[in-house]
Amino acid sequence: MTESLQIQLKKGVLEMCVLALLSKGDNYAYDIASRMAEAVGMGEGTIYPLMRRMQNDGLVSTYLQESGSGPPRKYYKLTKSGANALKSQVSEWIVFETAVRKILGDAT
Amino acid sequence: MNRAHFMAQLRDGLSGLHHTDISDILRDYESHFADGIADGRSEDEVAAALGEPSRLARELRAEAGFRRWEENRNPGNFLGVVLALLGLATLDFVILLPILCVLAAIFFGLSLGCLGCVVGGTFLLLSLLWGGVMGNAAMQLLIALGLISGAIGGGALLLLLMDMIAKLLIRYARLHFRLFDTANKSL
Repeated sequence: MTESLQIQLKKGVLEMCVLALLSKGDNYAYDIASRMAEAVGMGEGTIYPLMRRMQNDGLVSTYLQESGSGPPRKYYKLTKSGANALKSQVSEWIVFETAVRKILGDAT
Repeated sequence: MNRAHFMAQLRDGLSGLHHTDISDILRDYESHFADGIADGRSEDEVAAALGEPSRLARELRAEAGFRRWEENRNPGNFLGVVLALLGLATLDFVILLPILCVLAAIFFGLSLGCLGCVVGGTFLLLSLLWGGVMGNAAMQLLIALGLISGAIGGGALLLLLMDMIAKLLIRYARLHFRLFDTANKSL
């Protein structure tokens, strides 16, 4: 029933990571999912519930773009409020990470 | 599991959602398969990496229910949030269920109380209008107005409380989305 600390931590920063990826450029879900799966071991299928939620919250917007092969692809783009959310989450993360590292300093 | 099997299970799990939402979601996963195959993976590999379709459908449906509540806060949509929680059926729900039942009972009692106050106050007011004064007229008017305004205030407070509880439930549910379902096994 208890999940490892690692999983809980990853859940918490998932949204921030996706926002950070999108801040480097618009992207489509398959690419975001495979990057996240590789980097933090996220289940690929869960990118879609997450992206829908972020879209509902107004953090990202979508547009369709023709792809070389097959039907047009849905691209995700960071909105202004998404960029603001990223900024505040990153600064929160840095404060937290610095504090934890300070405490762990003696233990490691 | 191959692509067709995965998509069929996902579609089954999504039934009840608005059809534009369903086709939107299905298109997302279809293009995921197409991208994965273009990437040189097999249908089975992509399906395995995506995770259990029925579980994904429950999370997507829960998310849609939360959105409806956020757009329109009425008792029906509140029920939707609770049902979505039930659908996620995490183990800890066994702990949550009695708490929810008690809360629901309290809510029900309080709303009945508010309703009773409104009915009683209106009755007093009307009987005053039609000359059926029971004792002191000014006193009766004050009691009637007091009852009605008290009920309105109480009702507003109840709605506020309901909103707070829904927010808590939604946060709780989102924590229980198994975002790392497939990764969990490999860790």
